[in-house]
Amino acid sequence: MKIGEFTKIQKVLGAGLVSEDGFIIEGQATFEYDTDKLGAIAARVVNRIKNSLEITKASAIIYTKDNVLFLRDSADGIVFVICQKDANVGLVKIRLDKFA
Amino acid sequence: MSDELRVDSGALIFATLADVYISSGMIDEAISILKDGLARNPDYYLAKIILGRAYFLKDEVDKAIETIESVYDEVKESEIANLYLGHCYRKLGDNEKARKYYETTLKINSENMEALKELEGLIPDFTPTQKVAKAEPSVVEEPPVEKPVDETIPLVEVDKDEVEEPEAVEPEVMVEEPHAVDLEPVVEEPKVEEPELQELTVATPVSEEEPFGVERAPDVTPTAIEGAKPQVVSIESIVEELPEKKVEIEAVPLEALDKPVSRLLDLETVKGVFISTKDGLLIKNYGGGRERDVEAICASVAAICMDVDESFRLLKRGGLERCIIEKADETLCVMAVGDSLLTVITKVEAKPGLIFVYARKIIEEIEEILG
Repeated sequence: MKIGEFTKIQKVLGAGLVSEDGFIIEGQATFEYDTDKLGAIAARVVNRIKNSLEITKASAIIYTKDNVLFLRDSADGIVFVICQKDANVGLVKIRLDKFA
Repeated sequence: MSDELRVDSGALIFATLADVYISSGMIDEAISILKDGLARNPDYYLAKIILGRAYFLKDEVDKAIETIESVYDEVKESEIANLYLGHCYRKLGDNEKARKYYETTLKINSENMEALKELEGLIPDFTPTQKVAKAEPSVVEEPPVEKPVDETIPLVEVDKDEVEEPEAVEPEVMVEEPHAVDLEPVVEEPKVEEPELQELTVATPVSEEEPFGVERAPDVTPTAIEGAKPQVVSIESIVEELPEKKVEIEAVPLEALDKPVSRLLDLETVKGVFISTKDGLLIKNYGGGRERDVEAICASVAAICMDVDESFRLLKRGGLERCIIEKADETLCVMAVGDSLLTVITKVEAKPGLIFVYARKIIEEIEEILG
């Protein structure tokens, strides 16, 4: 499965793969969202989770006022997917599980 | 145009990355990436502030000052720029300048705890005076004594002239005015039961040491002072009353949380629940493991939430409402409840949807109990 597959899901606004230090490897997002910024945020939060909870692989789903952000450590790097709050979060999670 | 946008986004990303490096303690890497980025975008002021911060953290204070001050005219409204200039001058021992920048920081954001704390260090009387000013605006009008400028150690109205005063003049201020300021709450406090007034009483020990303040009292509120002529007695009475108020505060029934939380605990997959403040202090733990472990998780969860909040502020997309953090052996479901965080520790096989449904039901109750 490719990163581009995520953005085909309804109400998914962007997705990407980012290295541990926040550099984008691959990414796609709608015009409103900047994959570089999202990648940096994803790396920052994942690193924080790993350091704080002392775990090697981090996985998180973050709900904000308007969006849901998925973060997942994978062999290739950190995968992130951002979608609208009313997106099918369960479906995105399943796809993400398959991807990672 | 698109090129410009690319440049801008590139600029933003190197600053963001540098920030990540700094928060991970990788100061040299941050400085390197910032220098590189600034070579391409020399007018990117935010990056200069971050570079100044990085220098400060690396103990290169002179460089930090030079970097931030080089763009100060453009960023003088920046809270961080002022805060770090304050830190730098504080480190250099130039307390006057440090104080000036901390006060500017507080003008921009009056709740900046770091600046408040530093100012407390620089000006011993800072906090009480400020709280008096906040709690009782009427205090300002009360003394018909002549020196209006000295009334409070101001957050807002600070001139350079005043900056020079406090160390030398403060003792005088203690003699003349703060008594007036102190005495007012002394009289009012026992009657009006506001939690803030407890903090006002913190200043009263000063007048305890200087009983001549009693004679000053008639200048301020003659009727009140006549009624309470022996000032020492009123201070004692306050000291006596303080514990009573504390008892009232402690009487907030945290046990009331038990009932709503027990509904969550009844779920088979829930291993534990705890409530903490957003800054990571445990409020109550329900079977989430050993207290020390839970406190560590509290701090970790709070740190993660703060990071998320900060990051999303950058995107201008609102702060964290809830999150699910999956670990190998358990899952943490965290929900923001007002100023607190409700964390549910579940088994891996738990259904987060179900947890949130239950949690949503009890969140309102928890919010009500915690105020």
